[in-house]
Amino acid sequence: MSDRADEGVTGADGAAVADRIGPLSPGMRLPDWHVAKVDGEKMKTTAALLRDPTPIHWDTAALRELGMGDRAINQGPLNMAYVMNMLAGFAGGYERVRRLRVRFRGNVREGDSLRAGGVVTDVRRQRADDGDEILCDCDVELSVVDGDAVLTGTATVALPGKGSGDE
Amino acid sequence: MSETAREPAGMSADDVAARIGRAFPGGEFTVERWFAWLLADAALAGPETSTPGGPVGEPAHPLLAWTAATQAMGVTWDELFSWFGSSADDGPMFGEHETVWHAPMRVGRTYLVSGEVTSADRKSGRSGVFDVIGYVFRLHDKESGAHVADCWNSLILPRRLS
Repeated sequence: MSDRADEGVTGADGAAVADRIGPLSPGMRLPDWHVAKVDGEKMKTTAALLRDPTPIHWDTAALRELGMGDRAINQGPLNMAYVMNMLAGFAGGYERVRRLRVRFRGNVREGDSLRAGGVVTDVRRQRADDGDEILCDCDVELSVVDGDAVLTGTATVALPGKGSGDE
Repeated sequence: MSETAREPAGMSADDVAARIGRAFPGGEFTVERWFAWLLADAALAGPETSTPGGPVGEPAHPLLAWTAATQAMGVTWDELFSWFGSSADDGPMFGEHETVWHAPMRVGRTYLVSGEVTSADRKSGRSGVFDVIGYVFRLHDKESGAHVADCWNSLILPRRLS
């Protein structure tokens, strides 16, 4: 299991990833994206980048004082980002992620193994500046491996349709 | 004071609700290459997408929408928490989030950020009393004026009993 998406998230092959896993239709599962082990050092980098003073992400003494155990709690935005990575890997690039709505249902802690996944709920076609594009609505989820869902929600990604410049 | 008469420390529910509509000072955020690289690395997304010397305008990680919004909202996180009589030490948490991208975030671009508080509700549950604060940000490309993204968020602020 890798902590990076097997397919990457910047491929210029558009819907190639989606095409490889079968016909695009409701019920189709998106390729899972895994985090082998959540790294506390990434939380420290993120806290610094975001100027986030919340100590539960980097100060285990503060965690204990709050009665929240002794493993740092991952930033919510990083949990969202893992789902974005999964979506971008499926759709073929960052620019294809059009909407993401999530509810944070639990904490991800340092050392946890995670799985981001989703399932297609609707497929629509719309006109875009450079031709048709296919909008794919999905239910998404981030779960601790052998544990509970920590984030659930819905998303929309755009895939190039016939006549688009990205086809 | 009896147990049933105990109130959460800090602001009353009415005081919290009175913050609805308060605008963020706002500001601007430039997606600098080093920042995009480090954020992508922290998000395990592959910072090779933002290599030194890469083309200006290449798509950046979509998390940059939320990041730009919160970095340029015009207040620090602690200042935002203090609007509601809370602080980072109280253990604030994310509740829900939605981003709608009207265009990709791009390396090297500068984004204008505006927004306001949209809801503020006091609730109680198994974990005690807490406030749920909703707020929204809008991102516009500074150069073109194009509407790039909307970010809606809810923040959970636990209340300790006095």
